[in-house]
Amino acid sequence: MSAVLRLENLSVALPRGSRKPVPVLDELNLFVKAGEMLALVGESGSGKTIAALSVMRLLPKGAKISGQAWLGETDLTALDEPAMRRIRGLGAAMVFQNPLAALNPSRTVASQIQEAYRVHNSASPRAARARALELLGEVGIPNAAARLDDYPHQFSGGMRQRVMIAMALSCGPKLLIADEPTTGLDPLIARQIMALIGRLRRELNMGVLFVTHDLSVVEEHADSIHVLYAGRSVEWGGGAEFFAHPRHPYSEALLGSVARIGQARLQNIPGNLPEPESRPPGCRFFSRCGYSQPECNISYPPPDPQGGTTAACLYPLPATSRPIYFETLEKPPGPPREPQLEIRDLSVRYTGNAGLFSPAASLPKALADIALTLGRGECLGVVGESGSGKSTLGRAVLQMIPYQGHILLDGQDFAALRGQSRRAQRRRIQVVFQDPRESLNPRIRVADAIAEPFRLSADKSNQRERVNTLLDRVGLNPEIGQRLPGGVSGGQAQRIAIARALAAGPELIVLDEPTSSLDVSTQAMLLNLLKDLAVETGLSYILISHDFAVVSYMADRIAVLNAGKIVEINDTAALIASPEHEYTRALIGAAPQLRDRLSAPPAGVKTL
Amino acid sequence: MVATRLASSSLSILILVTLVFFMAHLTPGGPAYSILGMKATAASVAELNARLGLDVPLWKQYALWWWHLAHGQLGYSYLLSRPVGSLLWQYEINTLVFYTVSIVLSTIISILLGLIQGVYFNRWPARLIGGLQLGFYALPPFFVAAMLVLWFSVGLRILPASGISDLRDANPGIATYAAHLVLPVTTVTLLTVAALSRYFGEAVHEELAKDYVRTARAKGVAFTAILFGHVLRNALRPLVTILGLSFPYIFTGGVIVESVFNYPGLGWLMWRSALSQDYPILIAIVLLIGILTVLGNLLADLVNGLLDPRARYE
Amino acid sequence: MSEISLQSSAGMPAAPLGRLLGWLGVRATLVTGLAIGLAIIFLGFAGPSLYPVDPYAINPAHALQGPSTSFPLGTDELGRDELALLLSGGFATLVVALPAAILAFLTGLAYGLAAGLGPGWLDRLLMRLLDAILALPSLIILIFFASLVTLNNTSLILLLGFISWPSLARLVRNETLAQRGRDFVLATEQLGASRFYIARVHLLRVMAPILVVNGTFMVGDSIFALSALSFLGLGVQPPQVSWGSLLESGLDIIALDPWWLILPPGLLVFGALIAASLTGQGLLARYGGTR
Repeated sequence: MSAVLRLENLSVALPRGSRKPVPVLDELNLFVKAGEMLALVGESGSGKTIAALSVMRLLPKGAKISGQAWLGETDLTALDEPAMRRIRGLGAAMVFQNPLAALNPSRTVASQIQEAYRVHNSASPRAARARALELLGEVGIPNAAARLDDYPHQFSGGMRQRVMIAMALSCGPKLLIADEPTTGLDPLIARQIMALIGRLRRELNMGVLFVTHDLSVVEEHADSIHVLYAGRSVEWGGGAEFFAHPRHPYSEALLGSVARIGQARLQNIPGNLPEPESRPPGCRFFSRCGYSQPECNISYPPPDPQGGTTAACLYPLPATSRPIYFETLEKPPGPPREPQLEIRDLSVRYTGNAGLFSPAASLPKALADIALTLGRGECLGVVGESGSGKSTLGRAVLQMIPYQGHILLDGQDFAALRGQSRRAQRRRIQVVFQDPRESLNPRIRVADAIAEPFRLSADKSNQRERVNTLLDRVGLNPEIGQRLPGGVSGGQAQRIAIARALAAGPELIVLDEPTSSLDVSTQAMLLNLLKDLAVETGLSYILISHDFAVVSYMADRIAVLNAGKIVEINDTAALIASPEHEYTRALIGAAPQLRDRLSAPPAGVKTL
Repeated sequence: MVATRLASSSLSILILVTLVFFMAHLTPGGPAYSILGMKATAASVAELNARLGLDVPLWKQYALWWWHLAHGQLGYSYLLSRPVGSLLWQYEINTLVFYTVSIVLSTIISILLGLIQGVYFNRWPARLIGGLQLGFYALPPFFVAAMLVLWFSVGLRILPASGISDLRDANPGIATYAAHLVLPVTTVTLLTVAALSRYFGEAVHEELAKDYVRTARAKGVAFTAILFGHVLRNALRPLVTILGLSFPYIFTGGVIVESVFNYPGLGWLMWRSALSQDYPILIAIVLLIGILTVLGNLLADLVNGLLDPRARYE
Repeated sequence: MSEISLQSSAGMPAAPLGRLLGWLGVRATLVTGLAIGLAIIFLGFAGPSLYPVDPYAINPAHALQGPSTSFPLGTDELGRDELALLLSGGFATLVVALPAAILAFLTGLAYGLAAGLGPGWLDRLLMRLLDAILALPSLIILIFFASLVTLNNTSLILLLGFISWPSLARLVRNETLAQRGRDFVLATEQLGASRFYIARVHLLRVMAPILVVNGTFMVGDSIFALSALSFLGLGVQPPQVSWGSLLESGLDIIALDPWWLILPPGLLVFGALIAASLTGQGLLARYGGTR
């Protein structure tokens, strides 16, 4: 077997201050073949990034590694630092997340690629520069010769990632480790990067270890998959077999909670990841698993190979092409709703650069000629890539930025209102932002934050009771009210933000990428919560997101934005089934395409 | 971009000049009153006012003043009866020499210390340097200067305590000048290094923690190459900003240190003028310092733009 | 550069020492700083009554003696008790420097909030003015103005108070602008809150740590500035003494090697500055910034 990389019983413990090192990865065994991609999948806290960093020996000081990491015939764990340096970039190369931070802003792109090349080859600067030019062409940077002397900030996000890939390839490594390279990129761009990596690995016969939390990104590209949970492997095997029939309950849950286009309900994984200090002796997924039995908690389950994948589970699911259950999306258009929000001739100009020689009227527009209507109780999805103006639209509706045109709530134009009545009208539309931590004042306790809308309203009675009711409604324990935002998880913080929005008694909530910062399973829980709330209270939503699948799950109608204009708007089912505009088609094509599976839930599922 | 900066700098200078002028003339009774002090009577004040040209309406004085400035006339010292311009130049040179040496020395030492502090963060070299920085930063300059004089001039008798050269020496040579510079330069350098190396050390430490350093390691680049090829140019930026802001100090000097050592520089001149309320000199010095500071900021901005590619393309 | 104050000088940002605390830990730093600071304040205010010797009593017979049992810190060239002078000087220094620091703090805070919360044109106007003021090193301005006015406690307080506020104003304005755009502020605006409510309930609370830290530095700066002025003869006027003027008198006769006249006042000013620095750094490290 021509394994480029082979990890044997790799375990890593990280130092925690003066206390004992905490184990974050336990006994990882995997191999990557030349020319193939292994997807190392897990959520935050699973240990996947640590695994990648330990191959390159880039862990923080004081980290303890045990086990072996074989790159070809060499055990990387046994090398001293100078020897390891000779391997880095030459035998194995790494590409990171967030290329803007990962490149030196003060050095040209050419100089950084040249550096990578000259570390391992004694070449003249001119030869190195020629190689850099060659590489930029390889990764598909247009007009490469002119861009050699540009700085990282002059490239767009996708281009920067290509530069990073070019840099990694400079010495012809046998192994490429990619740590979440597409996170944060627009879906269309991400697809291009994945295609590029796929092409390069085939042409150069390079092994690729692809670390990610997003299963959908790797579905079309991974030859094999390895799933980690809380530091241990739970399932591994062939990619095709895995996606056809995942056998470990966690894998099934993970696939089920990823929103797919056309899905009616997301599966939620209740509970939380166990803390690294207090991991259970047996299967680590035990407390959240719907199929668990008492024996599962005694010792870690031995591997059970069947049907192309191996699951570390005592009661794995059968290896037949038995699909995950979910209801198909029906979503008939429903009865016509009375209009609640009306937008007419809305445009928003970019501010900040107006001056003596560029009067405001001539500035480019962030939004132009937007017109749409939102019905009461409806969820309108707004999709587009970054720069499309979708966030701007949200902010205009919220009256947070100046705009030209008309926005009417229940027939009342905001532009006609002033002062107190305007503020009162604004209250009827509330907001949930993307970053849950930023939406809360870090020095105000949770309960006080939720009570603030009450304090600012006419009815200041019974605040504690009302706060607790709201906490309960979003599925949180009342005792969380005493904590500061720093002491709650991302998912909890977002729920608190929702509770706070609800406290104002709104009729419409603008959700601006509400789940983009969250783990997949938390995302599912939150979206389900929002759906239930809408059903209970008749709330309308404007859901802004770049994730088409999430929007298709939630929205009754979808508006597609590109460069500040609406290119298409239609009922969800109709839009997805037969998109009219080609941009819409491109977006749908870039969204997760996990295969459809239809069935009733298998027997024996425990409800938690 | 450069044009806007120049414009706003000019505006700052204009406001500055006006402020200074009006402040100086707002003393109750006018400057003449302060000069005559006990001997002031209505007649003598009026006479002095006429002689010094202070009896004209204020706005006229202001306009006249710009006129004079444009012609390079900075007025006459009330008490020393010499043109201010020549006075300034004489003392200016001394300060220039003094502070240029100090700042160059301080920069070199600070870069070295800062590098050590950033690289050995949390280990004993960094902690030691950090402690010393804290201590020296809080030392008042007059205290440090006095202690140095006490030890080296009075105690050990190896260095002169004041002035720029020996009064008995008709033809002082470089060695004399140098000897007289040692203590003042040491004082200023000690205090400057405390501040500068702190900034630089923190900057180095911050840069070392950034993502691009990890990328460079992943390419197999050796640590020294990372330090000097990547980190240094990013960490030097805040230092350059500060040096640019301190640029005026080369010209204006430090009043306190010069007063302790009776070193005849611009700061010393300002001190004596303040004590004797010699306004023409005071105003001229304050103006000079103000303009130099604004220019220094401008210079710092421009150099910063050179060093930081991101700022260039704004 | 000897005019650099603890907090900043002429608009330079305060040196970020959050993590480089030398060999002291965070708690030790804070405790040490507070201990020294409180000791000095106690000394300044309670000292003269605890050691009721007349600082101005002239004893020519005992002139220029080193520390002894009758004169714990020795005497100056007029035979006056150095310890009594020191305590009297401490009182004089603190009684001016502390109110000046408070005045400077309030002025800077108000100015910065006005610029940060007000309409754009107000911000631009105030900042342009601030830049012009910051164009001069603070000590130069101090000396300039000190030469213009008659110097008594009130005028000194006003002088010192109005000189060191600009850097705080700039800091407050920058922070206010930065915090104003944060999501939780936007969300509160959506609830219909007024600007005053947001400033009072949210902004001040978030900015509280840096306000306290900078306030601490400003106290140190104030003491330093007053001592520097007094040293130059432009601060506390004779016959009242202060630490700065005591140091200056000692320097006058330095050829006579009077270490007991130089060391104590210098150490006290140093102590005050160190206390402010340590306390400020400790608070900064302990309570972090604004996030």
